[in-house]
Amino acid sequence: METALNATFEVLSFGAIIVLVVLGLGIVASMMGIFNFAHGEFVLLGAYTTYLVYSAGLPVWAGMLVAPVVVAACGFVLERLVIRRFYATPIAAMLATYALGLVIRESVRGLIGGLYVSVPEPLVGSLIIGGVRLPKWRLAIVIITALVMVGSYLLLARTSFGLRVRAALENPSLARASGISTNAIYAATFTFGAALAGLAGALVVPLFSLSADLGVRFLIQGFLAVMLGGVGTFEGPVAGGALIGVMSAALPWAVAPVLADVLVFVIAIAFVKFRPGGLIAARRL
Amino acid sequence: MDEENGDRSAAPTMNRRCVLQSAAWMGGAIATGIGSWVIPPKWASAATPIKVGIATDLTGAIGYAGNANANVAKMVVKDINNAGGILGRPIQLFIEDTASNESVAVANVRKLIQRDKVDVVLGGITSSMRNAIKDVIVARGKTLYIYPQLYEGRECTPYIFCTGPTPAQQCDEFIPWLMKNGGKRFALPAANYVWPHILNEYARKVIEKNGGEVIFEEYYPLDQVEYSAPVNKIMTNNVDVVFTTVISPGVGPFFKQLYEAGFQKRGGGLSCVYYDENTLNINAPYEIEGLASCLDYFRAVTRDDPVSARIQAEYDKEFPGKILFSAGSAATGMYRGLKLWEVAVKEAGKLDRDAVAAALDHAKIFEGPGGPAEMVPGKRHCKMKMYTAVAKEGNYEILARSEGLVDPKEC
Amino acid sequence: MADPSTASPGYRSVPRPRRIPVIPIVELALLAVLAVLPLVLDDYLTIFVTRVLILALLALSFDLVWGYAGIMSFGQALFFGTAGFSVALLARDLGITSIFIVLPASLVTGLLVSLALGSFLLLGRHPPTTIFVALGTLTGSYAADRLARGWYYLGGQNGIPSIPAMTAGSYQFVEGPVYYYLAFATLLLVYLLCRFLVRSQFGLALAGMREQEARIAFFGYRVQQLKAIVFSLAGAIAGLAGGLYAFHEGFVWPNMLGVVLSTQIVLYALFGGVGTLIGAVIGVIAIEIVGFWLADNYQQEWPIILGLLLLLVILFRPTGLIGVLVSERERVGTFGRPPRTLSRAAAKGQHGTA
Repeated sequence: METALNATFEVLSFGAIIVLVVLGLGIVASMMGIFNFAHGEFVLLGAYTTYLVYSAGLPVWAGMLVAPVVVAACGFVLERLVIRRFYATPIAAMLATYALGLVIRESVRGLIGGLYVSVPEPLVGSLIIGGVRLPKWRLAIVIITALVMVGSYLLLARTSFGLRVRAALENPSLARASGISTNAIYAATFTFGAALAGLAGALVVPLFSLSADLGVRFLIQGFLAVMLGGVGTFEGPVAGGALIGVMSAALPWAVAPVLADVLVFVIAIAFVKFRPGGLIAARRL
Repeated sequence: MDEENGDRSAAPTMNRRCVLQSAAWMGGAIATGIGSWVIPPKWASAATPIKVGIATDLTGAIGYAGNANANVAKMVVKDINNAGGILGRPIQLFIEDTASNESVAVANVRKLIQRDKVDVVLGGITSSMRNAIKDVIVARGKTLYIYPQLYEGRECTPYIFCTGPTPAQQCDEFIPWLMKNGGKRFALPAANYVWPHILNEYARKVIEKNGGEVIFEEYYPLDQVEYSAPVNKIMTNNVDVVFTTVISPGVGPFFKQLYEAGFQKRGGGLSCVYYDENTLNINAPYEIEGLASCLDYFRAVTRDDPVSARIQAEYDKEFPGKILFSAGSAATGMYRGLKLWEVAVKEAGKLDRDAVAAALDHAKIFEGPGGPAEMVPGKRHCKMKMYTAVAKEGNYEILARSEGLVDPKEC
Repeated sequence: MADPSTASPGYRSVPRPRRIPVIPIVELALLAVLAVLPLVLDDYLTIFVTRVLILALLALSFDLVWGYAGIMSFGQALFFGTAGFSVALLARDLGITSIFIVLPASLVTGLLVSLALGSFLLLGRHPPTTIFVALGTLTGSYAADRLARGWYYLGGQNGIPSIPAMTAGSYQFVEGPVYYYLAFATLLLVYLLCRFLVRSQFGLALAGMREQEARIAFFGYRVQQLKAIVFSLAGAIAGLAGGLYAFHEGFVWPNMLGVVLSTQIVLYALFGGVGTLIGAVIGVIAIEIVGFWLADNYQQEWPIILGLLLLLVILFRPTGLIGVLVSERERVGTFGRPPRTLSRAAAKGQHGTA
């Protein structure tokens, strides 16, 4: 029984991590139709910033607070310089972001020296509740992810800014005609997506250790999660990310890990084939 | 870079001359098609230089190890040249980047063989890299190839000599030590590629021969970071010793999750045979306290072995920084390989491949990192001393040494 | 889009400047250079260019699907790698190295796999979105890579090394000028075939599909089937390239199947310019040569520099290198034979000449 509960928690926490990573990707994809191939590298930047702050002698959680801000700034700069030109041609945007990701990744690799470095967790140890072992930091990640999601949802659904964002998402021309600056909205959205990725990177770096290839791992899972969940909504990527994360963590309990790996992707694609809208088809909010 | 732009440190008044000199050199270099890293010997000599090619990962995921290899090569060749070269001829070093990418590697190794026409190639770190470049060097290129990294064995192609530890060297003395200090119930969680498969095959034999038991043996994709399932299996099955070959990026999370589950607390022993000084940084020290490894060299060896101390000091002086001289990154194998080859060429008296191969077949060196080394005749693998070390508070402490040189038992 | 000179026979007051078609000139120039290259280059450079030519074949297959059929395929490496592994297995397990068997085998393998994947992704009740196809092919490539990495029979991470040379009877195709001309001839043949195809009526339908899919569908063309056909053809070409590559390099390994190569091919083709066939070839050649030179001279930083270069080209020349040389109009292309005279063209109601 304990094993099952432990397993469930582990699976859940991994799902939460994937959701956090995917959220930013999904929002940008839904809003602008651009699949940001550099999203994984934003995660990497978040992790790297945390590491830098930590090696400068400051506490880890300080790095975790700084990271989303730094990555958001990078995202903003990139959006203004690069991404902006490609709103009309999303395919070229994908490739531009791929090239960007390459540059960022190799630069970080050069800076870290190609090794794997570790960053300690801000909360060490585990809570034991009724025989179930809950590592504190993983618990923290689950809680933070939940808060972020709730916060984002509230932002979108309840604030006037959120209203403008939704308007730009649903009908850009009408939004512009109504006086909403879609350019500013896009910039804000991209920055927000980058901030989320940076946060994800900062939160997971104590678990997964820092290396230049940290982001690549998440990228494909991210795309699949967005596809699976459905482009065009807020809940879509969340659902997709949760499902992909849960499947990736749970399947190895049942089948050989190598097979489980491939199976997640095959299942996802097959699902999208037969339900093209994804889990949560875009509907008017 | 210092060798090429030697004058940069001169006084500012020399500036224009320096620039012109460098420009002339560059122009000449471009004209003659030189690229990559060519380190010509400092002393000009009437004798034609001996050409040594190094093909290693300077960039990419294996870069931290490749750069150590390149550094070692530069250091050793400089020493040899300072002592007068081999057969009165200086060594010219050609370094090519295999970029942790096999297709790029093949193209660059071809440059060493066909453009630079080197007399020997040392390099390759991962087995997949070795497999990719060996044909270009040995079959199509008809050149000698020395492979310096610890690996799974079974490379018996003629003209390929291996100077890194083999499964026999890593397991024969280590596993009995583990059983004495840990217990009889083993788990073999592994990364899913060739080295762990074959190493585990050998390890299982040794375990069972010594009365131990393998509780489970499992293979995970290289980038798996969730190890809750195997950690759970280890805890619920009362495994005494975890003999793991999980590599980065999975190894950090795996050790962390194992520690959090309380494995070390209940007396479990952790062991990982590729773990060297480079990898110690992946986890926090308390997570890997007591981790045992068996390699041909640890920095701690320098406390008792003056030769190792000298080599380590020389490396640290010439290459301070993050690129470490360690056994897991093929650096020790590279040193060994170059010195053994030097001895072989001196014995053969010429650079003809068959002559050198025949001499290399039984070459011995008395001074190497970790101790002397000798080639096993007919087997093209190298005997060396092996050390069992345990991680204590983030550093290694040697707890056992092999009596003499351990047999690789290959081919 | 109405061309004033064809609007009515009498309207001739504005003389139209005769535009020289640039693409054939580029093609011929490249042909001439490539034909004589082995005679002036060192062997190891010839071998390097051979590899580039084989990759150009792969990039060509991508240009066919994306530039002409509007399918963003991140899976060309899947067919390339699968064919490569198949012929490697043939050579290793069955000892078959005859060119008359392995090249057709690689072609057929590529065809079958792409047919299977294409049918799954493209056919069906709902026409798929571009993104779905892109991700579907990406997934295929990724899954194959992971599978190959985990499968011991295929050599796992190491792949299959030491593939013997391709033979024709007792003659061995070794790397060097011989293999170069083999690859060159194959590239030329396939290129001519594709060129013929895209300038035929079939190509006209494809161009229409690329520009305005809905309209073509309304005309009665079965768009999804057309796409599947082109996809399979491109898969066959990629397979052929895979077979050539396996025997040239002498080893196959999981990266040949994977996402990195797939994306690289996309980048090559886009860098050179899609929709012109020759653009893909130019793109591969340009990037590989620049990469080669950079790796030589900037050993540590070359991946970063390459990435920056690519970024700059995409930023400032989204149409790729070929866009520098060729006008947009010519890029879209010509179909069928040009009309004899302008008046007869007007009478026939044809349009679309450069």
